[in-house]
Amino acid sequence: MSTSAADIFGRLARSYADETPLRLKVIDTYMAFCVAVGLAQFAYCLLVGTFPYNAFLAGFGSAVACFVFAANLRIKTNAKNAPQFAGTPESAFAEFVFCHIILHFIVANFLG
Amino acid sequence: MRFLATVAVASLALSGAWLGVVEAKSVSGDRVLVLVPKVEAAKLYSQFLDSLTSRGFDLSVRAATNTSVALQVDGVRIYDHAVVLSPESKKLGANLSVRDFASFVDDGGNLIVAASSELSELGRKLAARFGVEYEKRGTAVIDHVAHLRAVNDTSDHTLVAAIPSKAASPVLSEQFALAQSSPVYFKGIAHKYELSNPMLIPVLTGSRTTYSAAAASDANKSASPSISLSGKPVGLVSLFQARNNARVAFSGSTALFSDALLSHAAGANKQFTTDISQWVLQEKAVLRETAHRHYLASTGQRPEHYRISNEIVYEVDLSVYHDDAWHPYNAKDVQFEAIMLDPYIRTTLNSSESADPKTTATYHGDIKLPDRYGTFTFRVNYKRPGFSNVDVKDTVGIWPLRHDEYPRFLSAAYPYYTGSLVMAVGFLALCAVWMWSAEPKTKRAAKHKSN
Repeated sequence: MSTSAADIFGRLARSYADETPLRLKVIDTYMAFCVAVGLAQFAYCLLVGTFPYNAFLAGFGSAVACFVFAANLRIKTNAKNAPQFAGTPESAFAEFVFCHIILHFIVANFLG
Repeated sequence: MRFLATVAVASLALSGAWLGVVEAKSVSGDRVLVLVPKVEAAKLYSQFLDSLTSRGFDLSVRAATNTSVALQVDGVRIYDHAVVLSPESKKLGANLSVRDFASFVDDGGNLIVAASSELSELGRKLAARFGVEYEKRGTAVIDHVAHLRAVNDTSDHTLVAAIPSKAASPVLSEQFALAQSSPVYFKGIAHKYELSNPMLIPVLTGSRTTYSAAAASDANKSASPSISLSGKPVGLVSLFQARNNARVAFSGSTALFSDALLSHAAGANKQFTTDISQWVLQEKAVLRETAHRHYLASTGQRPEHYRISNEIVYEVDLSVYHDDAWHPYNAKDVQFEAIMLDPYIRTTLNSSESADPKTTATYHGDIKLPDRYGTFTFRVNYKRPGFSNVDVKDTVGIWPLRHDEYPRFLSAAYPYYTGSLVMAVGFLALCAVWMWSAEPKTKRAAKHKSN
């Protein structure tokens, strides 16, 4: 059994690719996308300044909130966590959509 | 014919009255009460009083003992100015009290009060009311160096030759600012003055060799041991200007105004008393604000209320009265303040083109209002020694922007707009992928089993 770092990451990647369901992989991609969008806006804010602060808060907050909702959806729909939650993956998805609709209303209002 | 004559007389009277109004040189009125110990004593001051008459004042010379003399009747001033040349009287007119004089000044009346070594308690209290503290009764101002020199060494050392300060002042005329200005002769009592009192202007003070002491008969020979006041702090003539711009002069000497000293060739008493009386009787250095305006720089209109950070224009027109007419007042230190408890803005206004350059000077400021909402006071508070106070106040509301009045679609915010739009699109994409991504039935069956 090899313990080199490359080997460990290789095994991690393989096990992720093999054992994670497709939907969770989709959510993971989406979460990475959220982080990218959030970081880009934060970097822009550092560069340009906080002037339209409300717009920054709306844009950045939107990315953060999407990340958090996606994380919640991932936890609730993971089959391994199923015993802890009462609802079905469909109900979790419905909650996710509901929260998103409210979020985007708030963001649009705050954007100015 | 008779009718015509009546008309002529009436029109003459009318034009006379009109002329009278024009000729009055004082801004505040021309009724002067002159109080002297006895009516005959007015002869001592005939030159001074004649100069007042020639300047358009209507003099009422009364004896201090005349009990019908009042300054106000039913709370209304019946004189615009009062000249009190009766320092030794224990009672003035209808038993006028210090309070009567104070209320006369509060009502805008101007006062010239002269004192002497035998100043009565009333005169002393009256002066104290205005921050002028006379020396003890029986003392006199003595100067063994600077006094009026007589030919055969019989000169009186209490007849002091004082030289007014050379500093430019709106009170005294230019000749006193010259290097070789003539002295003003003074014989009387000294007073203390507080330099820290912003309302008091010591216009004539003692020199280094002047002192105040008991007026002994041999004052000429030796310095009295009881010197209570000496040098520059010896106040001889002080002027006071109240908050309502009423003016008061205190002279420790009645002789200063007398014909004997006014006609003295070497002295400048004539010019000095003219300057002092012109100042007190509101004939010079009278400052006023004729108009002021403020409006939005963008529209040129004055709105009901401003919004935070508005660019506005503030203008104030100032005139100064001297030589019988209003002239533009030119200065570089006129300041504007926007105050809400504390001044948020204090800025110097620049002079700009006046609509009426012959009588007014316009001061202009381009001002950016503070980024703060509330009830603000726009104020020009101009107080300079010798000039009347100008205090222009406007209470103005500064409102915040309404929810829908903030600037929108800023170019700097486009990345944020894009960011939030991208998140919304990403969400829709996720939903689509989620709903159309097929999941093996077995997994769901297994899940249902575990439940």
